[in-house]
Amino acid sequence: MSLQFVIDGLLTGSMIGLGAIGVTLTYSILRFSNFAHGDFMAWGTYATLAVVSAIGATFGKVAPIAPLSFGWPLLVALVVGMAFTALLALLLDRVLFSRLRSQGQAIIVVMASFGASMALRSLLEFTFTSRPTYFSRAIQIAMPVGFGIRITPDQIALLLLTAVLVLGVHLLMTRTQTGRAMQALSQNAALARIVGIDVASVVRVTWIIGGALACVAGVMIGILVQIRPFMGFDMLLPMFAAAILGGIGSIPGAVLGGLIIGLAEAGAVQLIGAEWRAAVSFIILMAVLFVRPIGLFGVRER
Amino acid sequence: MSETVLDVRDLEAGYEPGVPIVRGASITVRKSEIVVVLGPNGAGKSSFIKAIAGLVPITGGTVLLDGKDITAAPAHTMVRLGLAFVPQTENIFQLMSVEDNLKVACGILERREIPARIDEMYAAFPDLMRQRRTAAGNLSGGQRQMLAVARALIVHPKVLVLDEPSAGLSPKFVSMVFEMLAGIRKSGVTILLVEQNAKAALAIGDRAYVLVEGKDRHEGIASELWNDPVVAELYLGQRPSHASKGGVA
Repeated sequence: MSLQFVIDGLLTGSMIGLGAIGVTLTYSILRFSNFAHGDFMAWGTYATLAVVSAIGATFGKVAPIAPLSFGWPLLVALVVGMAFTALLALLLDRVLFSRLRSQGQAIIVVMASFGASMALRSLLEFTFTSRPTYFSRAIQIAMPVGFGIRITPDQIALLLLTAVLVLGVHLLMTRTQTGRAMQALSQNAALARIVGIDVASVVRVTWIIGGALACVAGVMIGILVQIRPFMGFDMLLPMFAAAILGGIGSIPGAVLGGLIIGLAEAGAVQLIGAEWRAAVSFIILMAVLFVRPIGLFGVRER
Repeated sequence: MSETVLDVRDLEAGYEPGVPIVRGASITVRKSEIVVVLGPNGAGKSSFIKAIAGLVPITGGTVLLDGKDITAAPAHTMVRLGLAFVPQTENIFQLMSVEDNLKVACGILERREIPARIDEMYAAFPDLMRQRRTAAGNLSGGQRQMLAVARALIVHPKVLVLDEPSAGLSPKFVSMVFEMLAGIRKSGVTILLVEQNAKAALAIGDRAYVLVEGKDRHEGIASELWNDPVVAELYLGQRPSHASKGGVA
């Protein structure tokens, strides 16, 4: 068998992992499963695409940064898209989730996020149609790197970007006062207030990080696969699987969970056939939870 | 008489509107004093002290800290206002290291001040220094209280407020915790505590109040209250020592 599935799996796993960071943070800090997280990905990607188009219309055709398929407009647009997605998450929290959260029933917030997910997705279809689109239609030549593995420059760049972002978020969570406040809030919300943590501001930071990373994950899918209104929703179950597999609340866990599921899916496609792709991640998820119900990096309370 | 740090006047508080648990309680705490609030089970002691800390809705009365009105200020602003609260249970972040428990409480300190302040806490509580990398959930009961108190002291509070610091501790740790509080007062910190263990609390306290049915009913010098017949009567005819053995009839 070819080892190509390793690269494919790592790439899919990176997208899942970046998305799962937002899922795991929302779950551990705000205590609900945000089904709209996948649609943050799609909105972030379309926002980035819109900015790329706007830059193209203003500055004309910009040559890509060799050997990548994209140029500086996409990088600028990605930053704008991340900010946009973070704002979208904050807005949705302000008008919807925070009001329901204050009534204290988690399941209502979960259902609301399901509704928000459908509404956001429909708005995208309405505005951009459901026809797939692309950041670039240029074809990249994959370079052989040995062991029968081929990789494109875009893929290398995106794997590196994922590594940098994951490391950055991990350091933020463990080394900064903001990160410690987020950990504190996820462990004991009442005590967090007593020690002087402003819950509202930690909640804002949580949405900003989750939204911005969702946008990056979406843009990765857009660069490597295609852009569709359903692109994020289709990632929802693998993202939740990754977050649970890694242990709720753990950033390294979410990323590792994403990579495991990405590799398992890619391996399954090669070994048993593409129709088993979705099933395999869940078999692994169930197997891990059977042995270790708190997930790989999860910690038992008390 | 030295200056008043905490002045609570006619406090009324409760979780539900129209159902007050605290019904017009007043106390004062002066600088560098240990003031103890006693009372039978269900007297509203815990609600009283939580209301002061911003954790139970206040429906009437005032709380002044150094003359400043802090009545019903949001709980997360209390440390900045100078009031540090140590809850009775779940008063540490169990999954975080001892050191991170201290650091996370330093939000109101200047960044460059934090390492020195943590070292000061380690000097005062050497046990914590030895366990600095340990997850706080793995500490013994006494060490947990030590950490909770250190975490509260780290921000230089004007008053340290504790809800039953001896609750759930074995006798050995109970005396350790009260010795620790007596030592903290010696360094000039003002302390207000609610206690079920009347004997141990009165032994280290300066003054005490007896709270019954949400109202302060009696006040006195801590060392004299132990033999005060009024106190015995307020405890429904029992001496407060019996109350400490887990409840009054």
